[in-house]
Amino acid sequence: MDNVCEEQQYNTIFKTNSKTVFNYIYYKFGNEEKANDAVQEAFVKLWENCNKVTPDKAKSYLFTVANNLYLNVIKAEKVRLKHADKHRNESTNESPEFLLEEQQFKEKLENALDALPQNQRTTFLLNRIDGKKYAEIAELEGVSVKAIEKRMHLALKSLRDKIDGI
Amino acid sequence: MRENYLAKWLNNELTEEELEAFKATAEYAQYQKIKETTDKLSPPEFNMEQAWLQLNGQRMQEQAPKVITLSPFKKFLRVAAVAAVLIVGSYFYLGTLNTKVTTQLAERTELTLPDNSEIILNADSKITYNKKNWDNERNVELEGEAFFKVAKGKKFTVATDLGDVAVLGTQFNVQQRDDYFKVTCFEGLVQVSYKDQILKLPAGHSFAVVNGTITKQSSTATQPSWMQNESTFNSVPLKYVLAEFERQYDFKVETKNVDTEQLFTGTFSNSDFNVALESISTPLQLKYTIGTLNVVFYAEDTP
Repeated sequence: MDNVCEEQQYNTIFKTNSKTVFNYIYYKFGNEEKANDAVQEAFVKLWENCNKVTPDKAKSYLFTVANNLYLNVIKAEKVRLKHADKHRNESTNESPEFLLEEQQFKEKLENALDALPQNQRTTFLLNRIDGKKYAEIAELEGVSVKAIEKRMHLALKSLRDKIDGI
Repeated sequence: MRENYLAKWLNNELTEEELEAFKATAEYAQYQKIKETTDKLSPPEFNMEQAWLQLNGQRMQEQAPKVITLSPFKKFLRVAAVAAVLIVGSYFYLGTLNTKVTTQLAERTELTLPDNSEIILNADSKITYNKKNWDNERNVELEGEAFFKVAKGKKFTVATDLGDVAVLGTQFNVQQRDDYFKVTCFEGLVQVSYKDQILKLPAGHSFAVVNGTITKQSSTATQPSWMQNESTFNSVPLKYVLAEFERQYDFKVETKNVDTEQLFTGTFSNSDFNVALESISTPLQLKYTIGTLNVVFYAEDTP
């Protein structure tokens, strides 16, 4: 039963991981098309090798494939992340000045995020937006938890430096 | 403060004292704001259902060449997937079939094989070979006449009803018409097998079987004459000469009181009809009359 070739199992793996693969590649390159392609590529490869990959290894296999797919993409390519506006309009007691300030801050933050090194940005957003635990990110990236903490720390620090214009 | 304390803070791992100390710093408010604002961000929508459908399309033709996915064109993708299945299917199906090239009367064609060997096919001839298996087996079946320029490589075989020709890399001409079989080697060395005979033919030599009799000739030509739009014969019975004339001009030839077994040595043009008729008739002291679709040769003394 515990076989990735089983349709049920494969489908479960897809439901659990496809969005994270998408986000992971998106945070890296800021490119939706690449992210969508990576999902396809990773899962097709997983299907082709479903006999060799056990279910518990499937996740790290997916991320390795997705990662390798763009190994040769020029790192210097400028990243421009687009974020859906999740700003809630429930509270009515926000002054226009406050809203403007918020908007400006958000823009600054987005610029700072775009300017982060690729691995810091990916790690930071996987944690903050997707709520992935450090240990989980460490597993995906194939590095230690300590290294992930370092990235988180440096990412937050550079964000503040950047926003403050230091 | 502790190493990577910002990471610990984001992960709620700071002790109460550490947290107090951090909150007391000037930067704390900024960090807090960054954290809050980041948490409100979200990446573009990921359409899982669409991705799943697309993935299933790809898995169905998993063995086939990869379809490049262009996600913005969702409709296009569906069409492309169907088209790809059809193309791939027909590719595999057609790949198992042999490739046939045929020339009609008075027609000539050139073809290049997968290894860049060249074949020039004379009129009313047919070549059959398997493109798919070409790398393993360079095997060509020939009916008619063709000139071969074989790229160096594995054994190259030309099979005809009368005999086989095997070579490694060379230029040669094979002619098989009814029971007339002639191989001329222009470069390198070819091996001809005819019935139970195997014979090596060096450049400048030809091997001919006419009416079951084997003759060997040598020539200094570098190409078969038909490639210069001429047909050349060296002691060949007239019937084969006339048959070649019919092939080159798509014109019926008849004879009256003419011995078609007599030998003919000479050349006729494949491009000038009247000159060709003269070239054949004069040396043999024949006359001819031209009809609408045929030409009749007759002996000069025929009433």
